[in-house]
Amino acid sequence: MSEWRWRAFKVVQSLVERLPRPWAYALAVIAARFAWWFSPLARPRLEYNLKVACPELTPAELRRLSQLNFRNHAKAYADLMMLPRLKVETMGPLLHVDGLEYLEQARAIGKGVMVVSCHMGSYEVASAIWSATLTPVSFFAEELEPRALFEWYRDTRARLGISVLPLHLGGLRKVTQALQEQEMVITAIDRDITGTGYMMPFFGRPAPIPLGPAAIALRLGTPLLPVCVYRQPDDSYRAEGTPPVMAQSTGDAKADEVRVTQELVRQIEGFIRRHPEQWHVPHRIWEGSP
Amino acid sequence: MRVGLVSPYDFASPGGVSDHVRHLARQLRRLDHDVRVFAPSSRADVDFDSAEFYRIGSPIAVPVNESVARITLSFHLADRVAAIIERERFDVLHFHEPLMPALPITMLRMSQAANVGTFHAFAKSNIGYLYGRPLLEPYLAHLHRGIAVSEPAKAFVNRYFPDFPLRVIPNGIDVGVFHPGHPPIRHLRDDRVNILFVGRLEKRKGLGYLLRAYELMKPRVPNSRLIVVGDGPLRSSVESFVSRHRLPDVVMAGYVPDSVLPRYYCSADIFCAPATGAESFGIVLLEAMATGLPVVATEIDGYMSVLEPGRDSLTVQPKAWAELGGALVILARDSELRRRIGTYGLEKARRYAWEEVASQVLEVYGEARQLRARQEAVGSREVLNVHDAV
Repeated sequence: MSEWRWRAFKVVQSLVERLPRPWAYALAVIAARFAWWFSPLARPRLEYNLKVACPELTPAELRRLSQLNFRNHAKAYADLMMLPRLKVETMGPLLHVDGLEYLEQARAIGKGVMVVSCHMGSYEVASAIWSATLTPVSFFAEELEPRALFEWYRDTRARLGISVLPLHLGGLRKVTQALQEQEMVITAIDRDITGTGYMMPFFGRPAPIPLGPAAIALRLGTPLLPVCVYRQPDDSYRAEGTPPVMAQSTGDAKADEVRVTQELVRQIEGFIRRHPEQWHVPHRIWEGSP
Repeated sequence: MRVGLVSPYDFASPGGVSDHVRHLARQLRRLDHDVRVFAPSSRADVDFDSAEFYRIGSPIAVPVNESVARITLSFHLADRVAAIIERERFDVLHFHEPLMPALPITMLRMSQAANVGTFHAFAKSNIGYLYGRPLLEPYLAHLHRGIAVSEPAKAFVNRYFPDFPLRVIPNGIDVGVFHPGHPPIRHLRDDRVNILFVGRLEKRKGLGYLLRAYELMKPRVPNSRLIVVGDGPLRSSVESFVSRHRLPDVVMAGYVPDSVLPRYYCSADIFCAPATGAESFGIVLLEAMATGLPVVATEIDGYMSVLEPGRDSLTVQPKAWAELGGALVILARDSELRRRIGTYGLEKARRYAWEEVASQVLEVYGEARQLRARQEAVGSREVLNVHDAV
């Protein structure tokens, strides 16, 4: 089953990467509409999540929002499929960054930077551009099934200098190494992939949130930088940074991790509330989701 | 000194000659010379800041020398070029591939400056040079001094134009960019021995032989990995070879941007260059050496002019993939040997730094200017004689 999924992905991907960008997006918009009509689980889950994030929405607005979200998600997939042929020289000017001074400020401390983000927009493209132009980037990433798909992901990102480090102990050691050598590590905390998250309020309702990034930051003194990337109406990208969060140790390790993570979650909530149409998480986050 | 560098190839797409021009321009600029670059370009926005860039003509792809050259064949260059030459008043015009149509050859005809030409290419034969000799010889006479990037390139030119003097000045490498100590691609830096290939995926680069050699060595050195950097027409056939033969641990990296390439060198343990011919120099070998990598290469003229087998490299017959596999096994098993060969290469690569190369090129510029001054003196005396006669 998963073998066939990989083959289907590869066929579509090799088609999409040969298309001009506007064509690929046109295809994505059509695919998004079909997925929105026919997906058995993704749409109810997404709408549930959006409802929790923005409770003031009327059903009609929610419907419109989830349509938009599917469309942006499909475009982000198209971006991912075009990544093997992405030219940094042509894509670079499409990325605008607000709050680059926060990144400089965080880098000036000299302990690397841990960028904390959420599954929003085309973060693949943004990090690829940063990696090729700014500073070496590492990704915390889950090991996908099938293996071939994971390897494709890894090699595609590595072409632009992104190291992909899996979430096990060997990966953790490399993350430490990367930070000690002043690199940038990017991770998302809005989904608990390993199933070891700590229950804390996320949009006012308890959800499992990974404490890993905060733990590493506390141990190494690395600044945490909340960043989100989103797509603009003209299909250019905008990245938004907020002031770095410095993890202060008070002695109680667990309490520190929770406190720092809560602070990060507050920033992430702000990003999601501002751009709910770009928060691509059609997955289960809260208890009670379909 | 006011210097103009002329390249026939598309400046926007990566290539050996374009890179050479780019670096030479930067180095000359650093030494306080006034540099202009002339080349065709497929894109208007060439990000090139260290010299003023004249974009002349747009390139088309022409198959040549088992590869594709992106040159301009426009016939309307002459007026623009003449106006620029008139305005800029160059002391030296430096032509790269001076006999390549249409830009260098057009400018060479019009140039009033001291003309220097650098020959990069090397091939078994060149029909253009053979049959075009009577046409090209007058152009060649316009050159005051000639440079070849390697002995084979020199021999190649002298085969068709035997009495044209050429000085060998090697290609340079940017040791500020290629050096050990870049952060590696972290997931490639595990307990495996990484073999690196860098080059366009086309037939003459010989990747097919490397894949066979890798297939041969993999059972003997199970902890090895092959990293292929580069894109090209053969990409899909390489991928299908890998999946048909079920070759494990082959990473197809694709085209890697210049800013990331040094990190790939730093992620590798062995560099392999299996080209089957038609390479005049092998700049990738020097880049690998400058990063401290041991080299396994084929014994073709272009590579042998750089390599010292046994000291900075192991060399094998071209197309002999069994031999290539053997050499890779030896190196992959012996980390001490890798270290020793790599250290020697690192030391040697310093001699090819652009600082060294540019100072030699400047010497040639000086000679060319002297020669031109002497010619001019002779010329003016002749005119006087004519007046006397009248």
